[in-house]
Amino acid sequence: MTRMLRRAWRRLLGTVSFLNRESELNEELESHIAMLADENMRRGMSRDDAYRRARIKLGNVEVMKEHYRDQRGLPFLDTTWQDLRYAVRVLRKNRGFTAVAVLSLAIGIGANTAIFSLVNNVLLQPLPYRDPDRLFAVRTTNVLAGGGGAVPVNPAQAREWANHCPSLEQVAILRPTRGQLAAGTEPAIVYGARVTHSFFTLLGAEPIFGRSFLPEEQQEGRDRVAVLSESLWRARFNADPSWVGRSILIDGVDHEVVGIVGGAYWRSLAGGRRQSTGSDNQYDLFRPLALSREESARLTGNYNYAALIRVKAGASAEQALAEMNVVQARVPRNPDGRGDLGVLLIPLHELITGRSIGLWIVTGAVGAVLLIVCMNLANLLLSRVASRRREAAVRSALGASRGRQFRQAITESMVIAVAGGTLGVLIATWLLQLLISTAAIDLPRLNHVSVDPAALAFALAATIVTGVLFSVLPAWQLTRGNPNQALRSGSHMVTEARGGLRLRKGLIGLEVGVCTALLIVAALLTTSLDRLLRVDKGFDVEGILTFDLDTAGPAYEDAETRDRFFGRVVDKLSALPGVGATGFIIQLPLEGNTWNDSIYLPDEGTRSQRHPVDNRYASPGYFKALQLEMLHGRVFDEFDRGRGVAVLSAKAARLLWPDDPNPVGRQFMGEDDAIKTVVGIVSEVRASLQDNPPPHAYYPYWQRVPGDVDVVIRTNASPERMAGRIRAVLHGEDPTLPIAPVREMQALVDGAVQQRRFQSTLVAVFAISAVLVASLGIYGVVAYSVARRRNEIGIRMALGARRSQLLALIVREGMTPVLAGLVAGIATALLLGRAIRGLLFEIQTTDPVTIAGVAATLVAVGVLACLIPARRAVASTTVEALRLE
Amino acid sequence: MLLWLAHMSPKTEVWQGTLALMVLKTLSAMGPQHGYGLARRIEQTSEDLLSINEGTLYPVLLKLEQEGAIAAQWGVSDNNRRAKFYRITRTGQKQLDTEMAQWAQANAIVGRFLSLKGVKS
Repeated sequence: MTRMLRRAWRRLLGTVSFLNRESELNEELESHIAMLADENMRRGMSRDDAYRRARIKLGNVEVMKEHYRDQRGLPFLDTTWQDLRYAVRVLRKNRGFTAVAVLSLAIGIGANTAIFSLVNNVLLQPLPYRDPDRLFAVRTTNVLAGGGGAVPVNPAQAREWANHCPSLEQVAILRPTRGQLAAGTEPAIVYGARVTHSFFTLLGAEPIFGRSFLPEEQQEGRDRVAVLSESLWRARFNADPSWVGRSILIDGVDHEVVGIVGGAYWRSLAGGRRQSTGSDNQYDLFRPLALSREESARLTGNYNYAALIRVKAGASAEQALAEMNVVQARVPRNPDGRGDLGVLLIPLHELITGRSIGLWIVTGAVGAVLLIVCMNLANLLLSRVASRRREAAVRSALGASRGRQFRQAITESMVIAVAGGTLGVLIATWLLQLLISTAAIDLPRLNHVSVDPAALAFALAATIVTGVLFSVLPAWQLTRGNPNQALRSGSHMVTEARGGLRLRKGLIGLEVGVCTALLIVAALLTTSLDRLLRVDKGFDVEGILTFDLDTAGPAYEDAETRDRFFGRVVDKLSALPGVGATGFIIQLPLEGNTWNDSIYLPDEGTRSQRHPVDNRYASPGYFKALQLEMLHGRVFDEFDRGRGVAVLSAKAARLLWPDDPNPVGRQFMGEDDAIKTVVGIVSEVRASLQDNPPPHAYYPYWQRVPGDVDVVIRTNASPERMAGRIRAVLHGEDPTLPIAPVREMQALVDGAVQQRRFQSTLVAVFAISAVLVASLGIYGVVAYSVARRRNEIGIRMALGARRSQLLALIVREGMTPVLAGLVAGIATALLLGRAIRGLLFEIQTTDPVTIAGVAATLVAVGVLACLIPARRAVASTTVEALRLE
Repeated sequence: MLLWLAHMSPKTEVWQGTLALMVLKTLSAMGPQHGYGLARRIEQTSEDLLSINEGTLYPVLLKLEQEGAIAAQWGVSDNNRRAKFYRITRTGQKQLDTEMAQWAQANAIVGRFLSLKGVKS
């Protein structure tokens, strides 16, 4: 063993110092011959004869030297070095080819590496919680009549799961909060959550100082304690551990800091997804969730809490789901024919990073692009095979073995691949920055994404795999076959062997197939996005500005103060030039936020006939600003102060009075269990973009003055100008008030489809590049085969074939693989359709218009790619074509 | 025997192994030698039955050197020619001993088979 190692080491050294050894061997051999000749001369031979005999005796020195060299160094390394130098020479001679090959590979590998970095960081890295695979968020289904999708949970029901589902290890309930924090530096609005004491243990987060909440702190009166996130503690409390045990002011109320927790608590944990990327989308301040007796008593129809569960080790999510659904089915329901309540479990990873399927499709698309680039390069190389076969034949005649030539061909491609890969890493770095900076993505942890070692390893692997992938077929074609025949045939005299052409047509078919599937997926996603954006939202989004008006803080603790404040702000805003109507509401539509609580009829007296609806407190101006259509009656107004009134959406009215088309003037019990008189019936509005409108109940804001509202302003003035005026108004009212950015309603809609747009744009870009690359491939194959068949075309023309006939002939031949690929691609897309169904909106995977459109596009591109070289071939005169011989 | 060895490909492991054994034994018995001297000694020892293609000696010498069984040094021959002298190292001596033992054992086994007296049927 040591012997072999020592020898290997020496051989490696030998590779490096071969010049030295070569001359030393020559000297040694010279001395050998001289001594042999001396001996011969002693025996009486002439000098010349003596040397001649000595050389004969020594044998074939060159062959011996060859063996010596083989043993001295590592022949593999030596020949690889040789091959490399040869490859670089060849590639430098064919600059055009090399540039196209390296660039297309660089783009392919670069795009793949960039997307890999995203996927690896966003999807493949586990969440920073203990056993994150066992964590799920819960939504309740089948709550709202007439659509509205799944809603948050009811805390009383969540408690039942904890008690009755053996598969659950823990259940935590939380509700997002936002409070003004006065401690450390100047007051600031801090986002946080009220959580049950199980929250931190469920996630597996240990406090770095102090403790998390105790069960008894969930009782009213004992809940004036707070836990700070590590980042808040570092940013505002100078990372000083002595804050534990001290008191801070939250909304003017004393709270004792009991602990500091590390880790990340994304706002999406509680279903909030308003804010975009960065660390500002995390919760920093936690307080215990204490439900007052009064609140608990009227929890029945309330679905406004987020819930997380941890499934026991060994139990499955399906088991947990089944157990929870059993509990849910026991909840008494209205006898109105709707099914039982159910729950929906969303893996926590999906909750935070979004539906992973979208990013996987992007990954597939970018991978397909690289695959097509590979196939195209293979095609290019294959078309060069015919002309290089002669060269290969000469080399094998000179004694190069087939394996050696094969390796030589692979080396050449590897040089291209490595150059492409290196350039690709640069492109990836740039592309990744572009992807992140356009911030078109709503992915958490995005700020951590970079071209890291894992991405570099991926790029390296991609380089090697693509290098092998696009070179093996051509190398095999090059070295196979009879060199004798290749030598005899002039390179342009003989039509290419059928096998080679068939191979290339097969590759074209494959390319087109992949393109077709990709294009169909891209078209489906883009159409979905388009339909989602155009969906009837219930109001005209154009020309509406909105901003968040938050009155957190002790100055606004009194409801009357807030009432007057909101009233004054709206009056002043309405008086601004260019403003049509102004109003505000507790939660904007389209953002996915709902406030689900029950309404019911007072005369029935029982609490069983309850109808969960989406409740909103609004100012009268809200309806005018959104230009909602009043189907009956009127909007509530200032003169309604002092009596319980409400506006219902048509759907909500139908829940209470199925048979009354115009229930204006009738009475029901609102979400606050007080009698309301219906003053108007209004049209439906979507609470989230993709779900059907839920039933809505609107109450005048003064019946329960919120601390935080969304103001809406209909205006024809430019948003920038209006923003300045709005700021001036707010500043005039209260200079200490933090002012949120003014946004266009349209931007809000765009924000809701951000992730979708990002994904569909990427897939579309990749699909289009794939088609471009593939069309180059089709062009290449047709151009090449036409060039080789010039002779035949000339003869046909001489015999009287019309140009149109010849064109048709060439195009028909060129299109055969395209059409075959098209059919295969459509079949693949139909199969793939299952996977992407969840991403589609109001379109079927089998949508005939989409498929026909894609097919037509590809046929057009294919015919064009065939026609260009075909026309050129047919345009040359018969004589020219024949004279070529 | 002579024909057989002379016509074997110089690359063959068996041939290289046999020749290497001869080289080691010669160096061990005769002390340092240059390539030419080794060729002569091997020829003499085989009583001219073994005429080696002398060029094939050098790849074998290189292999032994790389394995550390022999060491080389430039010197001057008896008739004043510059030549590379090879000597056996301690590793080489050990290698020679094991290989000689193996060779003897193989010889004995083959000899036993060759002297087998069968019952002719």
